Amino acid sequence: MEGFLELAPATALLPLISFIVILAFGRQLPMQGAIPGVVATFISLVLSVVVFIVVGQGYTYNEDIYTWVAGDEVIELSFGILIDPLSSLMLVIVALIAFLVHLFSVGYMNLDEGHAERGGLPRYYASLGLFTFSMLAFVLANNLLMAFIFFELVGLCSYLLIGFWFTDKAPPSAAKKAFLVTRFGDYFFLIGTVAVLATFGTAAFAGSDSFPVIAQDIIAGDISETAIETFGFEASTWFTIVGLLILGGVVGKSAQFPLHTWLPDAMEGPTPVSALIHAATMVAAGVYLVARMFGFYAISPTALAIIAFVGAFTALFAATMGVVKDDIKQVLAYSTISQYGYIMLGLGVGGFVAGTFHLMNHAFFKALLFLGAGSVIVMTHHQQDMWKLGGLKDRAPITYWTFLAGALALAGIIPFSGFWSKDEILYDALAVGLETPILLVAYAMALLAVFFTGFYTFRMVMLTFHGEPRSEYAESPDPVGWQIQLPLVVLGVLAVVAGFVNMVPVEKLTGLEIAYLYQWLDQAWLEQPIPETAAGTYSALVAQELPSADPNVLLPALIALALALGGALLAYRLYSDPEPQRHVDELGSVGHVVEHNYYQDEFQVWLAQGVTARVARVADIFDQGVIDGLVNASSSISLFSSEHLKRIQTGVVTNYATLLLIGFLLILLGFGIYGGWF
Amino acid sequence: MVVDLPEWTALAPALFVGIFALILFALDSIRREPVSHRLLAGTAAFGSLLAFLSAVWYLVVGVGDPGERGVMHLFQDTLVVDQMGLFFAAVITAVTTMVIIASYDYLGEHAHRGEFYSLVLLASTGMVMMAFANSLVTIFVALELASLPSYALVAFLKTNRGSVEGGLKYFLIGALSSAILIYGISLIYGVTGSLQLEAVAAGLTGEHTSLLALGVLMLIGGIAFKTASVPFHFWAPDAYVGAPAPVAAFLSSASKAAGFVIAFRIFIEAFPLETMLAMGIDWVLVFQVLAVVTMTLGNVAAATQSEVKRMLAYSSIGHAGYALIALAALTNAGPYNELVLGAGMMHLLVYGFMNTGAFLFIAMVEYWDIGRCFDDLNGLAKQAPIASIAMTILLFNLAGLPIGGGFLTKYFLFAGAVSAGFWWLAAIGALNSALSLYYYSRVVKAMWIEEPTESTQIESYPLGLYAMLILAAVVTVVALPAFGPIAETAMSAAEILLG
Repeated sequence: MEGFLELAPATALLPLISFIVILAFGRQLPMQGAIPGVVATFISLVLSVVVFIVVGQGYTYNEDIYTWVAGDEVIELSFGILIDPLSSLMLVIVALIAFLVHLFSVGYMNLDEGHAERGGLPRYYASLGLFTFSMLAFVLANNLLMAFIFFELVGLCSYLLIGFWFTDKAPPSAAKKAFLVTRFGDYFFLIGTVAVLATFGTAAFAGSDSFPVIAQDIIAGDISETAIETFGFEASTWFTIVGLLILGGVVGKSAQFPLHTWLPDAMEGPTPVSALIHAATMVAAGVYLVARMFGFYAISPTALAIIAFVGAFTALFAATMGVVKDDIKQVLAYSTISQYGYIMLGLGVGGFVAGTFHLMNHAFFKALLFLGAGSVIVMTHHQQDMWKLGGLKDRAPITYWTFLAGALALAGIIPFSGFWSKDEILYDALAVGLETPILLVAYAMALLAVFFTGFYTFRMVMLTFHGEPRSEYAESPDPVGWQIQLPLVVLGVLAVVAGFVNMVPVEKLTGLEIAYLYQWLDQAWLEQPIPETAAGTYSALVAQELPSADPNVLLPALIALALALGGALLAYRLYSDPEPQRHVDELGSVGHVVEHNYYQDEFQVWLAQGVTARVARVADIFDQGVIDGLVNASSSISLFSSEHLKRIQTGVVTNYATLLLIGFLLILLGFGIYGGWF
Repeated sequence: MVVDLPEWTALAPALFVGIFALILFALDSIRREPVSHRLLAGTAAFGSLLAFLSAVWYLVVGVGDPGERGVMHLFQDTLVVDQMGLFFAAVITAVTTMVIIASYDYLGEHAHRGEFYSLVLLASTGMVMMAFANSLVTIFVALELASLPSYALVAFLKTNRGSVEGGLKYFLIGALSSAILIYGISLIYGVTGSLQLEAVAAGLTGEHTSLLALGVLMLIGGIAFKTASVPFHFWAPDAYVGAPAPVAAFLSSASKAAGFVIAFRIFIEAFPLETMLAMGIDWVLVFQVLAVVTMTLGNVAAATQSEVKRMLAYSSIGHAGYALIALAALTNAGPYNELVLGAGMMHLLVYGFMNTGAFLFIAMVEYWDIGRCFDDLNGLAKQAPIASIAMTILLFNLAGLPIGGGFLTKYFLFAGAVSAGFWWLAAIGALNSALSLYYYSRVVKAMWIEEPTESTQIESYPLGLYAMLILAAVVTVVALPAFGPIAETAMSAAEILLG
């Protein structure tokens, strides 16, 4: 059984092969390259399930595969694989979503006339393959540098796919924005990666000599601080700084405030790509990284608190923006930002399991919602404005019912999956907040966001599916094929049932041991545990820094549920008319500010044009004048002296002899006087 | 079973080239009908190849390493076969072999081919002897043995004005320099009573300091002539430009290396820094001045040349300046002396290949007869892409870009200078390297970017020249990954010499 784990790299390599095949032969292939992509991701999915089962049998794997910079007693850089419960779970999630998105793409891109005639499908499937490969390899990475490399590759692929329709005006600019904004965060990540290597001499995630373990030992006092290089800081301060540097990459990729602005624009890409970006790859990469190196963050209460606050604020901030959007994909985009805020909050209050749980649930229901939106777009001839939809409930029942399941999960209505994980995050935040009151602010923000989430989710459902059709396309939607319906059904089922794997409130009330996800991540049952990545280890570490109370489970859950239902009911009341009103004017100037996304884009443009460009201009003047001036001057001096110097070579041999002797005598005189020979 | 060869066989590298020079004389004069060119070139190449292989073989089996076969002292220690000697013998004979093979195409139907090859081998014999010479008198004799055939070789194209003129200038400056050198030797003999290098060191009693200082400066003059260092460099541009290109390659690479090996040996063995500093004779300072002036003059003068060959001539002067750092960055019992000296040896080895290759490219251009200026090379890459690639590699190596051994050796030279505390020496070297990239790039630009002005058709692709050009380029590139053994040998040679 154990040997199967060595096959894990194949899960990542298969999509890479499909990428190469499609790149080379895409035009000649039937279905324009869809088949290799679908087949490769399907086999990847099967393999990842096998890996998951093998881990379930109690085996883990943590080996370097290829050392690309070898050194003697200095830093070694390598590619390696780490398979533990966390990565095997994520592997299945990514492979599943990637497969479903590939399958859905056949219906969305190949079979939809509007999309098919625009062409470029081999490029689409090739990019999708590379995207899947990058994310799977990122998930499997056993060290931070390898993770960084694939993190960047994920960013590149999303650039390629968001800008897939590059002849239009908006997609290239959205792609550029996504690339630049996430790159801004990645600068910090890169510095953090180098800092980790310079500090610890290793970037390994797990193992007795991995950097989180060394850092823990230093904080615990088992190793002297002098064993590592902390650049003059206290060890704990330095670890916080390094953790926050790496967090820069996370904030960019996971679209957290203030680097969230790229994600709403990223919906310019084909809708299946949005599903992939939002659910399982690009955005998930950020929070997965925090979970992956949670042992490093767990020892730094400051970093944890910052993660929690960034997450809670983003959750609320993005949810309010989602309230006023007209485009169905825009609403979903803001909901993604908001939901990743929850995951960050969960991780920030030490809820490693809660965060991972919500990451999984969100992957399922957000992929479902995006694919559902894609289905709507296909059947209504590319109509995304919710005010021009409506009445699709009876005309597209499968899409409606699955979408509704996803919406209930997103809003956090019992018993759908989102309820369980969101509740656990809120509970963890409350438990920690009762001991460290400042974190109660984060809890309050997240709780308030629940209301907005319920509201915008059901506003979207009502406007899209209920009421009367408000355009001719919504009147008579085209039927969609099984390639679209199957992924919806699979994900719809998961959105309903996925929450049952970790019903902590039920466990606490009944005493049944049914928190399976916690047990899975805790590794207590493993034959070869990797204790430094176990959930129990993390909670013990966090408990030293951030103690938590033990509040009642039922009451917070009921409050959250009540808020979610309240939001949903308000949306129902406002938008259940056959001809719903916008109701934006009632918000007055607040609505105006929210509609403009709090002027975040304007602010960033001002930062770029008003501040950065001016600084750049000054730097340019210095560069052109001083630096280039020096360089040009030295080259003119060289060439000028060259012209004169070469004239010494007169070609007359007697001159040579004279000059030679004069030179010799000069040396003789100079050194004679200097050395006192005479 | 280990057969112990008699001691004199340690001189095999010198003996092979010397004997084959005589064989060529015999072959060329005894046979009545003209001897085939192929036989002459083949014999010469075979001889120098044997010499090269014997030098490498000795290095491999540990001759000259006190820890293994030991350093061979011959003829009352007037000759010594140590690792440094063998290292340089290998460099010199490698260059000789390449030059001979390349000359086969270059000479073509020229008369006096037999004389050409035997002169090359004789000069080579002198240079190898310089590597082994351990007494001022053997040094002088070896130096003259290397020089006299060189004069004839530069003037080999008897009907070509430039060749004859260059040869004559070379000879006259050479005669003057030899006079200065032998005068210096006589002064040193007068002060110390000895000619053998260790005995000279033992004879430094602190008396007659000014005479000794004058002698030392004159010795430096003789060495500067052989290495084409300022102010004894005047012969070099005219001689290299006038000489047949393979001869220019031979002189600027092998002859320069031979000049440096005697410099290393004389100044390390005969004039220990500690003693000389006590007497106020700071020869390191002299070499520092020479290094700075030489590399600056060579590179600056190269920058605006219009002829490629003359540019290369000045660039080879510049490289002498870099190699002089090996002596200029020595300190009294300094911990980095080994690194500095070893780096100089490595640089001369890699330089031997890259500079020979670059001049062989000029030989090819002369063979095609497409002109001597930068403009004449315009668009050459379209007609001779392989030669252009090889030349590009060689030039970038000479400039010290990290595509070959040239980068590493320069790096070690500068790193050694910085470690020893002479950061300014390295800084000036780096500035000069930057300048050198400018003029080397002019050739690259002409070959690859410029459009050809007129359609010069290249008719034939001479095999021997091509092979040697490519070999030189490949060796310089391979020297990067295979730098370990080169560096090890050079460092251990430096260590043995420094004692």
